[in-house]
Amino acid sequence: MPKRSAERTTRWLVSGPPTLFMLLFFLAPSLIMVLASFRYPGTFGGLAPMFGAGRPGEDTGLTLENYRFFLSDFIYVEIFIKSFAVALLSTLICLLMAYPLALLIARSPKGRRDLMVLLVILPFASNFLIRVYALMILLGPQQALATSLNGALALFGLGRVNLLFSSFAVVVGMVYVHLPFMVLPLYTNLEKHDPALLDAAQDLGANGWQRFWRVTFPLSLPGIFSGSALVFIPVLGMFAIPDLLGGTRDILIGNLIKDQFLGTRDWPFGSMLSIMLTVVVLGFAAIAARLSRRDGAREEA
Amino acid sequence: MSASPAPAAPARRLAVALLPALFGLLLQVATLPARAEDVLRLFNWNNYVSQDTLDRFEVQCRCRVLQDYYSDNEEMLAKLAAGASGYDIIVPTGNAVETLIRQGALRPLDRARLPHFSNLNAAFLDSFFDPGNRYSVPYAYTITLLGYNADRLDALGLPHDSWAVLFEPRYLEKLRGRVTVLDSPRELMAAALLYLGYRVNDADEAHWRAARDLIIRAKPYWASFSNSSYIKELTVGNIWLAHGYSNDMFVAAQDAAKAGRPFKVAFSTPKEGAVLALDNMVLHKSGPRPDLALAFMDFMLDGRNSAELSNLIGSGNPNAAAMPFIRPEIAGNRAVFPDAASVKRLEMLRDLDRQRRRVLNRMWVEIKLR
Repeated sequence: MPKRSAERTTRWLVSGPPTLFMLLFFLAPSLIMVLASFRYPGTFGGLAPMFGAGRPGEDTGLTLENYRFFLSDFIYVEIFIKSFAVALLSTLICLLMAYPLALLIARSPKGRRDLMVLLVILPFASNFLIRVYALMILLGPQQALATSLNGALALFGLGRVNLLFSSFAVVVGMVYVHLPFMVLPLYTNLEKHDPALLDAAQDLGANGWQRFWRVTFPLSLPGIFSGSALVFIPVLGMFAIPDLLGGTRDILIGNLIKDQFLGTRDWPFGSMLSIMLTVVVLGFAAIAARLSRRDGAREEA
Repeated sequence: MSASPAPAAPARRLAVALLPALFGLLLQVATLPARAEDVLRLFNWNNYVSQDTLDRFEVQCRCRVLQDYYSDNEEMLAKLAAGASGYDIIVPTGNAVETLIRQGALRPLDRARLPHFSNLNAAFLDSFFDPGNRYSVPYAYTITLLGYNADRLDALGLPHDSWAVLFEPRYLEKLRGRVTVLDSPRELMAAALLYLGYRVNDADEAHWRAARDLIIRAKPYWASFSNSSYIKELTVGNIWLAHGYSNDMFVAAQDAAKAGRPFKVAFSTPKEGAVLALDNMVLHKSGPRPDLALAFMDFMLDGRNSAELSNLIGSGNPNAAAMPFIRPEIAGNRAVFPDAASVKRLEMLRDLDRQRRRVLNRMWVEIKLR
């Protein structure tokens, strides 16, 4: 009995602080946000008081007004759809580019793998905004990339295009920044595959194509799902990249939420938008978890 | 402030060993009765006072000036609301001064301690946000106007003295993809309202809708919404026309000249009028040293001291006594120091109530999405 209680104490000592941290800095702000989404904005920004009288012209107490405003207008749903499309596209491109790369690393000699993984992580060493600014220079209208492309277009009698300040630049930026998040989970998964399985498949007469689609790919699905979640969700909330690289119609949900807090000073509406986003993302995460579990189960069966 | 170079390995080991001792010492120092050192705390925009000016003030008052910075009035208000305190002086823009006054957060000024107050240009006194200047001392201003690549615009035969060039497709056709506008609903709507012949604080929703439609019509020709990158883009020649702040345009023009670009960046105030942002020194109630704060305000009201900021960042100066000390190329620039006739066409933005803020944001989303 004393031994068990000592074990319990140790367990609490070890898991207590992080749990407390999560409760304090994740759960509490989330609840504050939920509450804020049912309140009125204050005259000077912030929130109007929940109890008692506010300043002149201020409504106080709780309200569904923010949700009603959101649902009464299709334009906000449009932004959601657009953001999901951009996130989906970025995730797909990341996947298509990361998979061969991860496979290459996983099948390289052991000594070289660490170096290659390091090279994938290396961009993290410099500040994200600086890398985006570097992209701005690269895509600029007077740089080789844009001038040679426009030169080629002119040969075919086509008009000039702008690379920078476009939806194209936004997707390039999203893919560039998030690619390592796709490579790493894929690599960790692919590296664990038993090469004997592929040998066995070959012995049974499977060609390269079949070996990939029937053995490697199904085994890598958990890696694909976690990598996709790691890319899809941050892209959905990203506001800096559309701000810096986007053109005049590249607003995404992240920008809209940021505007509510910094520009419009409409915290309740911003909180409501964040909650809507969280709900939708959780829905997606649940579906992804479900899929990966089902696939995992199928593999074991 | 200054970053120390990374110590070599043995030095680091030593530092680790010494750290606890140092910590103990610090603790002791912290618990000692405070040394009689006078400190003035400023909550200011980044790079909004010349270091030379500060150095001279520190010698004169035998005190130290500590600054914290903000990059946005909203940010400053939010930090104060979240409990930031101990600031003797803050330098908010007009509408934020109004907010602070209505929140009861400011100390009234003791004019007897500000003998140089009479240096101020009367055009910048008695503003809507603080009638009679009971709380605020005008500090510097910027105008939201048009910055442009003078060589390009001249070659294309485009005007640069009217908002028309920003909104009219017949001009924009020649500038496709070479124009940026501010990523600010208030500023962009103000420009559109002015072009349509309305006032910047017009609250009529029909006028707003007309301005929105004007913006949506012009938008396909613009490259992007930009709040700061337009400085660089103008300087390197990617962007030929930008809607932005006069002090940023000053920086762009200066940088382009310094870099020896084959073109000139210039800026001018459209004839239809423009938005004026007047920043003011105010005394925050949480500041423990209103005496030092007033001394600093009066010091800054001295023409020579006040001029240093204009010389540094090209900001407009509401101080008449500063004019002789401002470099002639700045003092003579009509886009920094508008003449009496154009001052009348400059207007300050007033805060919107929450319903209007939401209506405007709804329009902004439409503008951004279409």
